[in-house]
Amino acid sequence: MILDLHSHSIASDDGRAKVENYCQWIERKGLPLDGFVLTEHRQFDDASDYRALEDRFGLLILKASEVETEYGHVLVFGVNDDLRAAFDFARIDNPIAMVLAESERCGAVAVPCHPGRPKVGMCAHWETRGPVEGVRIVETLNGGSREGENEIAERYAEEHGWSRIGGSDSHIVSHIGRCATRFEEDVRDIDGLVRALRGGRFDAVRPEID
Amino acid sequence: MTAEELKRKFTGWVFDEIDLDITSESLVGFATACGETLPKFTDPTDPDFQGVPNYLTRIHGTRALPEDFPVEMHRCFDAGKSVEFHAPVRPGDRIHGTSEIADIYEKSGRTGSMLFIVHRMNFFDQRKTHLATVDWRLVQREFDA
Repeated sequence: MILDLHSHSIASDDGRAKVENYCQWIERKGLPLDGFVLTEHRQFDDASDYRALEDRFGLLILKASEVETEYGHVLVFGVNDDLRAAFDFARIDNPIAMVLAESERCGAVAVPCHPGRPKVGMCAHWETRGPVEGVRIVETLNGGSREGENEIAERYAEEHGWSRIGGSDSHIVSHIGRCATRFEEDVRDIDGLVRALRGGRFDAVRPEID
Repeated sequence: MTAEELKRKFTGWVFDEIDLDITSESLVGFATACGETLPKFTDPTDPDFQGVPNYLTRIHGTRALPEDFPVEMHRCFDAGKSVEFHAPVRPGDRIHGTSEIADIYEKSGRTGSMLFIVHRMNFFDQRKTHLATVDWRLVQREFDA
């Protein structure tokens, strides 16, 4: 099963893609995706209901969040009321150690994304501020990365034994599915995604190449 | 001042108002510049002649920001506009526009932290019909409270 674990819709301030248009693009292009996860910036989009689109297009559409920390951006899967009460998703200076620990405590999974990217990726901060405890998974394939950034992420994952996910980081329709994550088991909902991420049987892929 | 403090102080109140008259020439000129070809947007003799839905994005107030707003303009750039269309603009309309700061927030990107200031203009015609809401985002780079 292949899911794009990092995408943004118009619910994000810099997103230009409607969720329906992502679905139409996946169908029209025949992309080998079984679904995607909306990871809106600095918020959790509680209000939107995509069940009708899921039925219409035969895709799994899940919701997560991309929060910001002093070590860069972090995807959080399995957002719930406890986690939303634990820290302010809108802040750009959340302590990464707290985000990782609270996600663990609340039954969610936190994944530093585009870690090889300057300023908003974890690796550069790791060099200057020191190691971070609690990292289990990182995004080693990010569709918005510039040359060399994914390679830095891959090197860190290799050195530290972290698991790897992929996501397109799409903000426009045509970028969906550029990178994704292949799971060995079926994922049917957000709880299943959290279980699968905790299980560790997945890898980052480029769907149209791999 | 932090982004949250700025938001508390400057959002939610009108700091500028303007009035202007709409002409056919202005509507046609803007539509043509946009590459529009539909007669209802380009031909003043069309029975449904009106401005293109984004016409009012061309209108600015007399001030970009409230008086005393602490921003370093040399580190700012225009992050674009979005428009929510409510009703058409017609030639002969007298438009009333109000400006307020709708939101202030931070985000971090490849170039560092940024402060986003959302300048919202609401436009009404002479019948008080709400025509459009235009959000203009101004960004200050390397924002450091």
